[in-house]
Amino acid sequence: MDIVHQVEQLLEQKKIDIFIGYREIDGHVIPHGFTLENLEELKSLKLGDQRYALEKMAAGLARRDKALKIGIIARDCNNRALNTLFTWNQLDPDKVETITVNCCPSPITPHAECSLLSPKSTGIYKRENGIAFDSDPETFKKDHDNSDRFSRWMYEFSKCIKCYGCRNVCPVCFCSECSLENDELVEPGNLPPDVPIFHLIRASHMAGRCIDCGLCEEACPSDIPLRFLHREMNRIVSSVFDYQPGQGQTKSPFTILGDKVTLTPQPMDMDMETEENRE
Amino acid sequence: MNYTFVPSVCSYCGTGCGVLFEVIDDKITTTLPLKSHPVNQGKLCIKGWNLHEYINSFMRLKAPLIKEEGTFQKATWEEAITHAANAFTRIKKEHGPDALGVLVSAKVTNEENYLAQKFTRAVLGTNNVDHCARL
Repeated sequence: MDIVHQVEQLLEQKKIDIFIGYREIDGHVIPHGFTLENLEELKSLKLGDQRYALEKMAAGLARRDKALKIGIIARDCNNRALNTLFTWNQLDPDKVETITVNCCPSPITPHAECSLLSPKSTGIYKRENGIAFDSDPETFKKDHDNSDRFSRWMYEFSKCIKCYGCRNVCPVCFCSECSLENDELVEPGNLPPDVPIFHLIRASHMAGRCIDCGLCEEACPSDIPLRFLHREMNRIVSSVFDYQPGQGQTKSPFTILGDKVTLTPQPMDMDMETEENRE
Repeated sequence: MNYTFVPSVCSYCGTGCGVLFEVIDDKITTTLPLKSHPVNQGKLCIKGWNLHEYINSFMRLKAPLIKEEGTFQKATWEEAITHAANAFTRIKKEHGPDALGVLVSAKVTNEENYLAQKFTRAVLGTNNVDHCARL
């Protein structure tokens, strides 16, 4: 059964009030909300290789109307983000229906069955002075010493134009008050923003949430390798807490307030050494 | 509920980035970058990301205002255009056409900019026409 019929059935059986899918307008495949009132629009339902954070839109709609039952087209990254939004109580799993479709095609996955996005190509200057999109955190650590890594990150971060695009596009960014807009943490009016703290605040807040969908890197006008940063942060979360966001609906370790601190603060390098020793 | 997305072009500067407005019940609530747009390729600056704010701003002027005795008074378009035309004619008569100048903008369309320079040269009769980007 094709998607159009599935959506039609869901709407007619009142299992959902609105279905968030895609349709084509002027050659652009863009999101659209299909409802029972405009059922004829379903003919224009179309899938393209552009991804939008449909689950973020669903969460926005659910915030306006708690009783709204929402259906969405879900690729693998959408499903991971949905799981994260469920665990953080931003969406009710009983009020969300998904229709799973294949992931976006890419050179890695020509048959488009997998969520691995192909990294963007990196220019020569960025490769020499910054961090390549396709570099791997482990080899990057081996190939470059501490000061080199720091200067490369500072090169990347200082390109930031503070557009807040990474936060605005992120499907799992939902806080009503954002630390990035806190005057005490990030001084307003500075460009580039206070580096590296601006990006590290966001990275640390992504712990236990980031589902590696790559939307932030796609939205970054300054080509900052945000996926690299968040992937390394995810690795730490997974090694310390044995938790992978988006894989299931188990609560994130960061939602539980403990009564004692189990981690001792120490310099980054020592942390890495002890981790290596442990392995 | 009417939930739709409308593709458009950012009106903040002359770059022409593609934006996508999230429209809930005929009210624009969010701006997103249009991913398939060739100009910005799914990226936006901070102004573009907040494009919906000025559309819904309570400070937005929805009718022309004419200053009378030091305060702005609401007027109709007919009154406002007549008022401006009279003032232009008076200045041109008293001080010559070069006392007038026109600044055009990156935020309006190419055609509107063309009309503005035509108006300046053919109607007002001066070459004092420039662009806001050179201010």
